[in-house]
Amino acid sequence: MPIAFEKVNYQYAPNTPFAYEALKNIDLAFELGKITAIIGPTGSGKSTLVQHLNALLLPSKGTVLVLDRTITHTDKPKELKSLRKRVGLVFQFPEYQLFEETILKDVMFGPLNFKVDEATAKVQALDALKMVGLDESFAEKSPLDISGGQKRRVAIAGILAINPDVLVLDEPTAGLDPQGSKAMMELFVRLNKDHGKTILVVTHDMEHVINYCDNVVVMAEGEVLTHQLVGDYFERKQQIESIKMNLPQLLAFKEALIAGGFDLNTPMRTLDDLADAIAMELSR
Amino acid sequence: MNNIALGRYLPLNTYTHHLDPRYKILGMLLLMVSVFLPAGFIGYGIIGAFVLLALVLTKIKLKMIVKSMKPLLFMLSFLMVINLLVIRTGYVVFSFNGFTIYSDALFQTLYIAIRLTLMIIITTLLTVSTKPLDLTLGIEDLLSPFKKVGFPAHEVAMMISIALRFIPTLIDETNRIMKAQASRGVDLKEGTFKEKIMAILSLIVPLFVSSFQRAEELADAMEARGYIVAAPRTRYKQLKPTYRDALMMVAVLALLGTVIWLSL
Ligand SMILES: Nc1ncnc2c1ncn2[C@@H]1O[C@H](COP(=O)(O)OP(=O)(O)OP(=O)(O)O)[C@@H](O)[C@H]1O
Ligand SMILES: [Mg+2]
Repeated sequence: MPIAFEKVNYQYAPNTPFAYEALKNIDLAFELGKITAIIGPTGSGKSTLVQHLNALLLPSKGTVLVLDRTITHTDKPKELKSLRKRVGLVFQFPEYQLFEETILKDVMFGPLNFKVDEATAKVQALDALKMVGLDESFAEKSPLDISGGQKRRVAIAGILAINPDVLVLDEPTAGLDPQGSKAMMELFVRLNKDHGKTILVVTHDMEHVINYCDNVVVMAEGEVLTHQLVGDYFERKQQIESIKMNLPQLLAFKEALIAGGFDLNTPMRTLDDLADAIAMELSR
Repeated sequence: MNNIALGRYLPLNTYTHHLDPRYKILGMLLLMVSVFLPAGFIGYGIIGAFVLLALVLTKIKLKMIVKSMKPLLFMLSFLMVINLLVIRTGYVVFSFNGFTIYSDALFQTLYIAIRLTLMIIITTLLTVSTKPLDLTLGIEDLLSPFKKVGFPAHEVAMMISIALRFIPTLIDETNRIMKAQASRGVDLKEGTFKEKIMAILSLIVPLFVSSFQRAEELADAMEARGYIVAAPRTRYKQLKPTYRDALMMVAVLALLGTVIWLSL
């Protein structure tokens, strides 16, 4: 069961003077069971792309295959709910979607909508809250009286509680403190490794890409520039700089060392890889 | 949501776009007056021709107008039914089993339909061809004579322009929240009554919260930049009427004159 885009175009405000083609002829297949990063400069169409995955947007042209569903411009799949149960989408800045009296109720809202019974929904909600690092003392607070970062976590818990097979996150860590954003990325890795969830994450943070993701999709101006293994992608420095992204610190450091005369040509993903390579080089 | 495209400013480069907003508003008001004069079908024919010419000059497609009139059909048919039942003057057009339709009922409905259509087209002409900001500048100038009696013309204009400014933002926000809640299984079309109430709440509460937040932020930002209510201020954009405005006003006044003469 694939998640794939076939020749997908998407136009905002079609047939008006404001028409804008946000996606151009996208061909893309995501690997199930992996963590895939989607990167690209602002306005490159990342958010537009991910909203196709649970049929919030229908392609203007082309086909989107999601699990056992085929989504095209004309045939809006019936029973969207069952698709949305399996593909959870966390929006960019999701904190504005909170509305219930208490945090617990807000997190239970999703599962209840998907016809989970009250008791189970409560268990799932408390679980999800724990996963995002909010203990039970938060359960009875109002979601409007907590900090922005905490709201973000509640909103993410609201999708986690639905327990989808595919989790799509649009810049989940933007605006979180470094510790919080690290914990969040580690949570996604856990969900992927321990529960086999497919994770698609839009991010601007190259450190997250190199540290946590398996694959990377690069977008620019509504097109997919490349779709590769993370390790392979970062081997090509020019590729990264051509889309105005910074190298991850690790690789920037490696480049500086190479410029300074070190001979480091092995591929590396972690600090340990780099340390080993330097040690090797020094002992020669 | 597509209907909202109607009445939204379209950045074109037409005769109407270049008119001074003050005269455009005045012209629109005069046209509205003429629509409400009892000038009969000939009068409406003349106004219709005038409005059609204005549409062409503004490069608005008729298709767009027709599309936006669709929601009105329901209201008109409702009016029609009421008129048919209530109005019992004129000659009998149709009679069946004691159910009679009088000519005045038909005419009355037709008049209302024509008036509504013309009104909508006239306001659309104004809003499509005038930037919201220019519109409020125009309103402010037109209201400024009332400053003498203590009317806060500038503040009212400011309020209108802020409200106008935030309409698209609110629409975007509503769309965003709707999508976010749809991802959490909200379905506005299906479900029991209780579920629908919850669905609407899940939309309205965040909308209110963010609107209040926005209002506060905007107020802070305005104060931070030294905005003081009722302080005298100068204006960057000066409005200047041109020959186009004179031409338009002459045409509108001539039309109004004709319609008044017809309805005497
Ligand atoms: N509702 C909309 N109506 C019209 N155009 C839109 C709308 N939403 C987005 N766009 C346009 O589509 C393009 C892609 O937007 P999108 O939100 O997908 O970008 P993005 O890659 O997610 O950017 P960011 O990194 O800033 O989140 C942008 O140029 C944007 O102006
Ligand atoms: Mg985005």
